[in-house]
Amino acid sequence: MKRSAWAWVVAASVALAALPFVLRLDGRAHGDSLQFLGRFHPTLLHLPIGLIVLVPVLEIAGAKRAALREAADFVLRVALVLALPTFALGYMLAYGAGDAGGTVTRHVWGAVVLCIGLMLCIVVRPAWVAGEKKMVYPASLSVSLLALLWTGHQGGSITHGSGYLTQYAPRPLRMLIPGASAEDAGGNSFYALHIHPTLDAKCVSCHGSGSAKAGLRLDTYDDLMKGGKDGTVVVAGKPEASMLLARVTLQPGDPHFMPAEGRTPLTSEEIGWIRAWIGAGASATATSVPGVKIANVEAEPPPQPVGDYSALVPEIAQMQHGLGAKLVPVSAKASDGMILRTVDVSSSFGDAQLAEFKKFAPYIVEAELGRTAVTDASFDTLKTFTHLRALHLEGTAVTGSGLSKLSSLTQLRYLNLSGTKVTAQSVEALKKMPQLRHVYLFNTAAEGDGTTARSTP
Amino acid sequence: MKQHPLCTDCEREVDVNGLPIPAGLKREWSAVETRRQFLGRSGKVLGWAALASLFGEAALRGRATGADANGVVTSPGRGNLGLPHFAPKAKRAIYLFMSGGPPQVDLLDYKPGLAAQYDKDMPDSVRGTQQLTGMTSGQARFPIAPSHWGFKQYGQTGTWVSDLLPYTAKMVDDLTIVKSTNTDAINHEPAIMFMNTGNMNPGKPCLGAWLAYGLGSMNDNLPTFIVLQTKTNPKENNQPVSSRLWSSGFLSSEYAGVGLRSGGDPVLYLADPDGVDREVRRKMLDAVEEINRQTQADVGDPETNARIAQYEMAFRMQASVPELTDLSKEPQSTWDLYGPDAKQPGSFAYNCLLARRMAERGVRFTQIYKRGWDVHGDVVGVLPTLCAETDRASYALVTDLKRRGLLDDTLVVWAGEFGRTVYSQGGLSKENYGRDHHPRCFTTWMVGGGVRPGLTYGETDDYSYNVVKDPVHVRNFNATILACLGIDHNRLTFDYQGLDQRLTGPQPATVIQGLLA
Repeated sequence: MKRSAWAWVVAASVALAALPFVLRLDGRAHGDSLQFLGRFHPTLLHLPIGLIVLVPVLEIAGAKRAALREAADFVLRVALVLALPTFALGYMLAYGAGDAGGTVTRHVWGAVVLCIGLMLCIVVRPAWVAGEKKMVYPASLSVSLLALLWTGHQGGSITHGSGYLTQYAPRPLRMLIPGASAEDAGGNSFYALHIHPTLDAKCVSCHGSGSAKAGLRLDTYDDLMKGGKDGTVVVAGKPEASMLLARVTLQPGDPHFMPAEGRTPLTSEEIGWIRAWIGAGASATATSVPGVKIANVEAEPPPQPVGDYSALVPEIAQMQHGLGAKLVPVSAKASDGMILRTVDVSSSFGDAQLAEFKKFAPYIVEAELGRTAVTDASFDTLKTFTHLRALHLEGTAVTGSGLSKLSSLTQLRYLNLSGTKVTAQSVEALKKMPQLRHVYLFNTAAEGDGTTARSTP
Repeated sequence: MKQHPLCTDCEREVDVNGLPIPAGLKREWSAVETRRQFLGRSGKVLGWAALASLFGEAALRGRATGADANGVVTSPGRGNLGLPHFAPKAKRAIYLFMSGGPPQVDLLDYKPGLAAQYDKDMPDSVRGTQQLTGMTSGQARFPIAPSHWGFKQYGQTGTWVSDLLPYTAKMVDDLTIVKSTNTDAINHEPAIMFMNTGNMNPGKPCLGAWLAYGLGSMNDNLPTFIVLQTKTNPKENNQPVSSRLWSSGFLSSEYAGVGLRSGGDPVLYLADPDGVDREVRRKMLDAVEEINRQTQADVGDPETNARIAQYEMAFRMQASVPELTDLSKEPQSTWDLYGPDAKQPGSFAYNCLLARRMAERGVRFTQIYKRGWDVHGDVVGVLPTLCAETDRASYALVTDLKRRGLLDDTLVVWAGEFGRTVYSQGGLSKENYGRDHHPRCFTTWMVGGGVRPGLTYGETDDYSYNVVKDPVHVRNFNATILACLGIDHNRLTFDYQGLDQRLTGPQPATVIQGLLA
């Protein structure tokens, strides 16, 4: 039996490994019925994944409870029984739809290795259970698991696009991942800032390095201009003659509508960019396109959530009652923080009253101190408001000495000093706070100092 | 006592509150049922008063103004609504209401092709089955009237603006212009009700009342929702506006808009009469309040709470309104910006300046009504006057808010109740024409907190008659305004007449994401 099992494994492995050479994935589609079946691949594939991952869990837990180890063999066999049809369906999908490219190839070979690995595991496991050949089974299982990880990732890249996992990774982390930022077209051209990111998000999962359907790749400028099997897709200066624009502006039900297969369509804004960009000559380097104004493309980082202040609520209520100033939640979500609102008691609200709010400092994201009696001494209190995003000091007596104390407030975006006694000299300190996006100096001696005032778009 | 048919326990007196009916109905019952309760229970009032005084004033106050889960003192009857639903971009809004229906073809919806079509008939295919008003349904033909005024491109966005709006032209890069706003109503009253309350029939709360109810006050000394009416110009065709437009409908009447008068005392009878000083007034109000609280405890009519709140508000307004309307401390730069009109109380420019001062002082919602846009005839004669009255002031308001750092969290909306037809009402000549009501498309704009600057949204066809791209129905327009203020329009509801009532009505409405920043 053992020998015949080995024979089966070798035969099946050869068959699996030969398949990509016999039925080559050359980018040509091969019939709809294959695709019909193939599209069950994404449904089925999660079953064997779950079972395969279960195997090492059972093996490890089996060290304590023998029954679990017995189950491992069964689970392994079921996993293989499911993995083979999954592979077959996947291959039908790729072959039927004419998928081709690096990612698809890697996905296929990963699956071949995984299937062979599983078969190997089944055959070598009895020896391991019997206490012989202690390393062969763990090695095969590890290889299978690695192959699973790799294949799964490639599969995910086909569906969601190659940058999906790393798109929102923190910048330092992204620098460590090879290729994660290579997708960036670079520069500040209109193409790099708007066209490339749009294509990257909406088109490249099918028309990119991983998969180039219809021979079309849209992941680089040169490929975009080169076009695909059906000819060029961008005719510079002629949006209406460009297939790229034509396909994304069809009715969504149209068989030629892109993005196909129910993927997220382009927004009207993105379509507008593409139309304007092609109309202006589809340049790779032009930084502006007539008729399109993009306000502030630099995305503002999301605000930092504040901690849980629910324990302080009775204290807050008491404080409000005494001082008349209020702490108002920004929204129903506590982590959005609170606004310090003084408008009802503005004339009597001074530095001493502000200092009373120190204990709530980390939860205050906005301080409305306009027309209050606070002075420059308040900056000592305000610098403890670590989550402060907006500070209103308009119409107060502050002269601006001590503004530099605010530099530790990394979240501060808005500072209103209108109608105060600040001078061009005292607001110098603000130049060292690049995080401040909106600074208002209306009706002050510092007004008109263009280098300091940064106003709304 | 006569047995109530639904009563199973005949020993006890029947009370609506004991019946197995929805809570909303009970509330409505207690709101309408007053005389019977008054007569039936007036005898107990003195006893209750004695008891209440035993509990002391503090106990009464503690009950009336509870603190919600977040420790925020809430207005009586409002409770904790859990609002805003999400972090808002705008804390407050100013709504410049262009009552009468401004002609979009002459202002912001530029149609260069029309000049060649002068006096040609409107193609039937464009007009389709659109209902006509009684004012033009008898017309034999619908001759196209191109705008009398030229258009130029302005700003980095290259937005086309009529020569009638030289000041608006200066701020197009800040504006979010919606060319595809459309409504269901073709006559003033239903259309203006629809725009303000989301329903063509009176009786529903308006946008400002919903905001006051949902978001509450920012300044305890001024109303949450203020309405300013612009003095009418007899040259213009002034459609009436009524307090139905700023009514709180079925919401407690403390959420209704407070109108400031355009001339004389901004609020009538707000000043104390001779011989009554503030101390005396305070004592009187305290006494009245105590009586009202007892009534409220006894009768349970929520309007009593509203009355208490309004007395208190009026008392505080005695101090805050004179300060609000005292423009003597405004710097010269204000007058340079708003122009000489702003010195005339009741002018649109004066109201815009007041609106800015209210924004600074924490008024949640200010609505300025400017009537006279109903240009059925003599467009060439009247429209320049209308634009002169509003163009500079609107620009001044936006610019003033912007330079003072208020535009970051203030949403400004400029809209009428519908648009006007491209074809002429009455005779068309090279010198003059008229325009009838047109609900299928009209142009509005917004600016400030929450909306995307420098955007022109939606497109109309070559006749500015039908929307061809990105329509914005009134429901969606209002849903989008609410979204800027941190409100999910589906969740700001009030249970009334068996329906979770909301500003956008029972039909589905969507926030127009494309308008949001």
